[in-house]
Amino acid sequence: MIQLSEVSKYYDNEIALKDITFSIEKGELAYVTGPSGAGKTTLLKLIYRAERPDEGRISVAGWNVGELKQSTIPYLRRHVGVVFQDFRLLFNMSVLDNIALVLRIHGFHPREIKEDVYEVLKDVGLKHKAHDFPQHLSGGEQQRVVIARAMVSKPTVLLADEPTGNLDPDTAAIITKLFKDINARGTTVLIATHHSELFSGTGRRVIHLKNGEFVEETTG
Amino acid sequence: MRTFLFSLQTAIKNLGREKWINILTVLTIAVGLLILGTFILITLNMDLTLKHWAKGFGIVVYLKENLGPDEENLLSEYFKKDTDVVEIKYISKNSALEELKQTFGTMTSILEGFEENPLPPSFELKLKREALDPVRIKQKTARIKQLDGVEDVQYGEKWLSSLNTMTRGMKIITGLLGSVIFIAIAFATYSTIKIFFYRRIEEIETLKLLGATKTFIKLPLLLEGLFVGISGGIIGFLFLFVLYSFTTSKMIEFLPSVKGIMVFFPPEMYPVAPLAGGVMSLIGSFLAIGKIKY
Repeated sequence: MIQLSEVSKYYDNEIALKDITFSIEKGELAYVTGPSGAGKTTLLKLIYRAERPDEGRISVAGWNVGELKQSTIPYLRRHVGVVFQDFRLLFNMSVLDNIALVLRIHGFHPREIKEDVYEVLKDVGLKHKAHDFPQHLSGGEQQRVVIARAMVSKPTVLLADEPTGNLDPDTAAIITKLFKDINARGTTVLIATHHSELFSGTGRRVIHLKNGEFVEETTG
Repeated sequence: MRTFLFSLQTAIKNLGREKWINILTVLTIAVGLLILGTFILITLNMDLTLKHWAKGFGIVVYLKENLGPDEENLLSEYFKKDTDVVEIKYISKNSALEELKQTFGTMTSILEGFEENPLPPSFELKLKREALDPVRIKQKTARIKQLDGVEDVQYGEKWLSSLNTMTRGMKIITGLLGSVIFIAIAFATYSTIKIFFYRRIEEIETLKLLGATKTFIKLPLLLEGLFVGISGGIIGFLFLFVLYSFTTSKMIEFLPSVKGIMVFFPPEMYPVAPLAGGVMSLIGSFLAIGKIKY
């Protein structure tokens, strides 16, 4: 589903990622880990084409990501749900509208949108917060809204960047369970995290990065 | 269609969210179009005055005394061949005197001092509207003066020249002013939409990351610009109508003859102001948004 072949990325001649090669199978849940500055976020950005690789080839669900035309990029992103590290929620919209926005972008019918949004809000346990604004929610609730937004269009790939970054252990556990449930439905999930407790004991593949380079691949 | 409806909804919401800056832009466009509309209206009225006056405009060709009928016929034939001439009227010495007596009315005794009729026979030529060009008429009268049997040629040279210069001047000013105002309208909307664009840059970035196409991102901003432009056009037009009604009513008080001469734009021209405001604002918005890159 996701294939990276000798991918490198530089920022002003500084190495962000160097010769990264790995692949994630369809329906797999895997982790990318490493200390701050390891290149985890850059890696995810390359996959959803927020950045372009300087070297190498990236393939996502059959799309040659590095060679995509500007006009095609939105269509790749519709196949890839992203849980952003900084949430990127729109504070002038309610929770419902934030999630519905994705389906509006996809061109869904308004009636369908409402049904799907309530369904995904039920999945993340926030149906009762549908009409609240993001600024009135706790960090954990905001994170669940972001996951709901990433999932509502049923993408084939879900990427999560430090999804439990600032959350307490109980909330982090809820979020982790959500990702497992999403993966159980067939979605390929790749989570970037520096919290080893998130993947230890899961039996999932873990890709370790350091200073932009591949270090090793272990099982969590 | 769904994208359009959603963009329209978003545009309306955003117009309300940023109402003060939108009201200011609408008023700027309205004032711009009011100024331009005023100039166009003045030019239109001057042009109509010229056309109105042209109906009565004539060249008087005074003939030499004791001209024979053959020579007069030759001159008449010459005028008939001229395609600018729409009407030819021969005024004999006696008819000229009669006309003068009628003009003088009770003061005809002034003419009794003359032993014989001092007035020459003449041809009065009416010209078509298109021929009322000062240079063209000057050349024509110069040619007529050279003809055998012609004593003199007279017409309202200064009046024609002044009115023509004024109309031409107004047309040039209106043209220049039109260009400046159209650019100003585009610039006003450009600035407003640019501000909106920068205020929403985070939102736009998020939309891009969620898979929104360029059309989905641009359309609400373009619709906002269009709406502001059309509103400015409508308000500017209403201002102009009020200004016209007020001015004409005041002018009629002092100059009743103005009634029926001054005109407003015909109904088929009413949509022009909103359309012009809309189009220029759309151009301004389009330039403000610029290229969206992923």
